[in-house]
Amino acid sequence: MKISLNWLKEFVDLDGITKEDIDKKVNQMCAEIENIEEKGADIKNVVYGKILEVKNHPESQKLHILKVDVGEEVLQIVCGAPNVKENMVTMVAKVGGMVCGKKIGPAKLAGVESFGMCCSESELGIGSDDSGIVEVKYDVKLGTDIKKVLPIDDLVIEIDNKTLTNRPDLWGHYGFAREFSAIFKRPLNPLETLDLSKLEGLERIKIKVSTPACLRYSAISCNNITKTQSPEIMKIRLNYCGMRDINFLADLTNYIMLELGQPMHAFDNEKVKEIEVVSSKKGDKLLTLEGEEHEVPENSVLICDGNKNSVAIAGIKGGLMSGITEKTSSVLFESATFTSEAIRKTSRAIGLITDASLRYEKSLDPELTKTALARLLYILTYYDDGAVITSSFSDCYNYHYDKIKINVSADFISRRIGIDVNANEVKEILERLGFSCNISGENLEVLVPSFRATKDISIKEDLVEEVARMLNYGAFTAKPLAFNVEPVVQDKEHTLEYQAKFLLASKYNANEVHSYIWDYTDFNAEHKIETKPVLHLMDTRNAGQSAIRDSLVPTLIKFASENKESEENSVRIFEIGRCVPSIKEDGLANEEKHLAVVFSSSDCSEEELLVDLKNYLVDLSENYVYATLNFEREEPSQNYMHKVNTFAVKFNGEKIGYIGVISPIVSKTIDKKLKMVATEINFKELAKCRNYPKKVKVPSLYQSTHLDLNFVMNTSDTYADAVKALSKIRSKLLVGYKLVEVFENPLTPNKKSMLFRFEINGKDHSLVGEEIDGFMNDVINLMEKAGYPLKK
Amino acid sequence: MKDKLIKIESEFDSAYKEAKDLNLLEEIRLKFLGKKGSLNYVMADFKQVPNEMKKEIGQLVNKLKNKIEEKIAEKKQELEDKQNEAEINNAKKIDLTLPAKTNVGSLHPRTLILKEVEDVFVSMGFVVEDGFEIETEYNNFDAVNVPANHPARDMQDTFWLDNGQVLKTHTSAAQNRILKKYGPHCKAIFPGRCFRNESLDAGHENTFFQMEGIVVDENVSVSNLLYFMKEMLKGVFKKDINVRLRPGFFPFTEPSFELDASCAFCGGKGCSSCGGSGWIELCPCGMIHPNVLRNAGIDPDKYSGFAFGLGADRLVMLKTGLNDIRHLNSGNVSLLKQFGIKL
Repeated sequence: MKISLNWLKEFVDLDGITKEDIDKKVNQMCAEIENIEEKGADIKNVVYGKILEVKNHPESQKLHILKVDVGEEVLQIVCGAPNVKENMVTMVAKVGGMVCGKKIGPAKLAGVESFGMCCSESELGIGSDDSGIVEVKYDVKLGTDIKKVLPIDDLVIEIDNKTLTNRPDLWGHYGFAREFSAIFKRPLNPLETLDLSKLEGLERIKIKVSTPACLRYSAISCNNITKTQSPEIMKIRLNYCGMRDINFLADLTNYIMLELGQPMHAFDNEKVKEIEVVSSKKGDKLLTLEGEEHEVPENSVLICDGNKNSVAIAGIKGGLMSGITEKTSSVLFESATFTSEAIRKTSRAIGLITDASLRYEKSLDPELTKTALARLLYILTYYDDGAVITSSFSDCYNYHYDKIKINVSADFISRRIGIDVNANEVKEILERLGFSCNISGENLEVLVPSFRATKDISIKEDLVEEVARMLNYGAFTAKPLAFNVEPVVQDKEHTLEYQAKFLLASKYNANEVHSYIWDYTDFNAEHKIETKPVLHLMDTRNAGQSAIRDSLVPTLIKFASENKESEENSVRIFEIGRCVPSIKEDGLANEEKHLAVVFSSSDCSEEELLVDLKNYLVDLSENYVYATLNFEREEPSQNYMHKVNTFAVKFNGEKIGYIGVISPIVSKTIDKKLKMVATEINFKELAKCRNYPKKVKVPSLYQSTHLDLNFVMNTSDTYADAVKALSKIRSKLLVGYKLVEVFENPLTPNKKSMLFRFEINGKDHSLVGEEIDGFMNDVINLMEKAGYPLKK
Repeated sequence: MKDKLIKIESEFDSAYKEAKDLNLLEEIRLKFLGKKGSLNYVMADFKQVPNEMKKEIGQLVNKLKNKIEEKIAEKKQELEDKQNEAEINNAKKIDLTLPAKTNVGSLHPRTLILKEVEDVFVSMGFVVEDGFEIETEYNNFDAVNVPANHPARDMQDTFWLDNGQVLKTHTSAAQNRILKKYGPHCKAIFPGRCFRNESLDAGHENTFFQMEGIVVDENVSVSNLLYFMKEMLKGVFKKDINVRLRPGFFPFTEPSFELDASCAFCGGKGCSSCGGSGWIELCPCGMIHPNVLRNAGIDPDKYSGFAFGLGADRLVMLKTGLNDIRHLNSGNVSLLKQFGIKL
């Protein structure tokens, strides 16, 4: 929102206050300033001049050659404006002058010399009319600089609207004047208004309000309004504040809105004589002032005339049929308050955000409707003394906000701010802002003014803010915190997240990715991935991405396929993210944090990839979680996992995830040669797993003996089968064993062999030959019984 | 016998000179000292030496044997040195400029930056907390004092789910749970993924990270907040940062502030990065609203505290130089892998 300093000065004396003062203090004590523009700095040497003579240009139909009297001289000026005529007084930029940053020099226009430029309002930025040059209708001495007559020099302060969200009172100049008076400690002038009590006895306008969304509706009618053009000062202020001037009545309503923050509307009183405020029904429509037809959403607030014709969408836009034109002389002025929700909902639904709707969304003070009408009539009658007020102040005030009284102590405020203030200081600050205070001792009873009481201020903490900002945050000193020193226990799961990620990236050459919480439904369909989402976004604007994922793996498959080319067919990616595999009994999402990893390659076998991935899980669980995981073959529930080579990952018999090959049914849709493996682990469950860390064994003082034994097995037998058989070894000599190699021979496709290396130790003596032989024979016999004879 | 020894000695002296390499030297050693070497050969006659001469001859033999052994060892050392030197001089020159193969993956830039920032907080005695991404309307809005009719609750801004829950719109959704967990003495930060229903462009994502912190205790004041934010930013940016508070407005804090930091690019003089003001808007913050404390069972008359947000993704972009937020969720490995693994 733009604030004109000249306008503010009408209400508060700001002499001696610089642009820098404003920038610094307003920013730190009130609202964010985006920009302060020095208006008028780019207009120089523009004076009043009278056109003495108009001659046609010999070379051009559009141009005229003028003789213009600018006081001490008469200038020849070539002008293209269509409205030039003799004896017309206008504004002339002289040679050496400047118009909106453009320097004026002597020029030749179609061969004729020109010494200056006659200006339009729009060129000077003081009005919106660009149809011709300014026609001055007030008395001026020719040659006078227009800046001496008109308030062209000004500072326009642009405030960031989002910092005014909670301040309905700051959506007009008078509210800012009040803030400036508090910030700079200058008195605030009262607003000059018309005394509405004088109108008692005049006819009342019939107003019927049948919706609770209209808090207050006030109106007054006038006729015999003859003024059509706004005074210059009004035009300049409107234009400086970012509005175009239209005609006197329209400008007047806008002017009041910019001054007080209260949106106003002017209806043609010939067409609108009574007011009915209703809740809209399905199918209601309105043709707006701009000539656009809008369907009004159901349950919006609609303003109707006495005959149930809709004449305005409340708080947003007026209708064309009831609107005023330059010919209107009889007007009904509306000044009303609606709930912020009602206006916001309708405004969003029809996609129309207006200066009025923006203000209503902030929860305006209903008390303001009367003040605004009183001010409007004061200005109207000031500029158009023929205007006749034809109604009394007509008012339907259905909802009064509660008066808010807050009890607070200076001590409470001091403690919250961290700076000592006494009750008198608090009182002084609050009263400058329009609050009234009663002091008893260190306690204050504070009455919140109506313009701050619609939602902004209701509790003592709100008063802490008022006092704190008026003490100026810039002047605060930082004070250290005093705390007890206590050890802080960090969350194990969170720490494990970093460890799991770091291990994958540093040792397993994998890259962490972040993705979205929804499925890529189109990608999944294209690649035959079936997911089972149980939760969806309500907003279906992006239908392909509205199912909340039940697993992270499909997204990683997508990312792996997208990175295949750039990563030369070998992609290793992972994510720790959330998904929703089910809905709980209470209807809430069962959100789980999963660790998912996908390795893909076209250069190595599925087995190599899967073993590497398994190595990671074991590495992580053994070295960071201190838990031993088991892998059990299990037919997957996901169609994108391999039916044979998918395994449940278990801890103490409980499944915490799965690992396996991605079904070729899916991977072949991406690339015929592509091999993909994946794992997905419930991370919270993983973090909970824990076997006690292995006990440290003290090494024996005697030399160990190593025995290599190679056992023949069926191809379908697993390492786990061999381990099961070996677990029956009872010899105390055994320190441990490990698998050295698995031999497979294409000539004997049904058989393979596993070479184990056993370490045995006498513990308290050196082993002797018989002991070694005895151990070896026991193991061989045991394995033979289990069906795994020694390879000869 | 004496003569024979003298002869052996002179033979050795001349053979020794000819020993050009280690093989020849070994031959010489065997010839003189080996089992069948000349010395042993001579010693076979020792029995015949008269007893009175045995001592003298014995000494002569030992002297000669020692001399030969010493000479050979000396020569061996000399030849080995020569050989090593030749080997060194003739060595293949290794090309260490060939590219290294480190075979390392990468962590997401968010992980890297968040960990760095978390460490700062942990060093200041904070706990790092986690939240849900799918939240109840209560936790996301009501518990943190967002009014029932607040625009943020509209479908245009919030991703509502068909079971009535929401994708959390801010990390503040975790405040209630954390305040209940730790009670009125609490220092916690909670980074997390948040969601807003908005169109994507270089500066906007619908899925982004925030990091939020809260400090609650007895008599925590605005002046404490100012102190804390300065110290915290010093830790995060590893240098002194000038800050200023401005009035702000958020439903969950009262009073609310915008905290500006002096522009890192121009040092506060004003440049294009800070729009000429010398300040960069860095973190929203404020004193926790009494309703938020009350909703968590904490007495707002006795306890107070402050909350602050750090735009995690903005911090990531600021620190990594990424200029398009959409990269972060793109899964583009060739981009992401450049961030490496430094935690």
